[in-house]
Amino acid sequence: MSKENSATSRREFLKLAGVAAPAAVAVAVTGATPAEASAPKSGSGYRRTEHVEKYLKSTRF
Amino acid sequence: MASGEAAAQALVAEEDVLRAGMYDMLAGLLARPPRRDLIERVAGLEGDGSEMGRAVRSLARIARGTSESSVEREFNRLFIGLGRGELVPYASYYMTGFLNEKPLALLRADMARRGIARAANVFEPEDNIASLCEMMAGLILGRFGVPEPLSGQRDFFAQHIGAWAGHFFTDLEGAKESVFYAPVGATGRVFMAIEREGFRLAA
Repeated sequence: MSKENSATSRREFLKLAGVAAPAAVAVAVTGATPAEASAPKSGSGYRRTEHVEKYLKSTRF
Repeated sequence: MASGEAAAQALVAEEDVLRAGMYDMLAGLLARPPRRDLIERVAGLEGDGSEMGRAVRSLARIARGTSESSVEREFNRLFIGLGRGELVPYASYYMTGFLNEKPLALLRADMARRGIARAANVFEPEDNIASLCEMMAGLILGRFGVPEPLSGQRDFFAQHIGAWAGHFFTDLEGAKESVFYAPVGATGRVFMAIEREGFRLAA
């Protein structure tokens, strides 16, 4: 089988195998990471602010 | 997604971008308990009548009926546990029966050669399944420089993933504690078989 033929059959195979569905998820997985790390949670509950983190660190919690 | 990566992706064939998407999804679900937004994304997935399509559909169905906290509890029982979780998702463990054995050393040498390093805030060994999926996605899309040619992807897969990941995903699918992670396991198992066949066709 020539190189081009094998590339085509691989492409056809992958298309038929149905690897397409999670592409939309992947964008979310990779795109969300930096924002998630920096955005503080809103709400009125317990918040791990910098101050709180420092306190927990000092108590080796 | 970084704009540099978007530019590099223009050079990567569509089906390979989709493969990377698959690896990214598995990495995102296995690295840590997924947050609600990721679970919701997964819940919206659709699949066709293929084996992969069926696995993805059942994953979406279970994602729709679960919550962030119950997935987190399941994750902890599966991978963290008291002492250890039900499963030990590391190449070294699956290939030798012990953690931090030669497969990890080989992977570290390979990573150094390719200029890949573990993130500074991560302390798990690099040969866990999530990291390996992340590295495959990165190699395919060129996140570590330029997109890796198929032959290099095949070598990386054969050396670090192919021999054991299928077994791990099968174990995950059948694990006692698996509910949400059962179809994650099925999806991974089917995908590993597709990858193996894809690399064989490209040879």
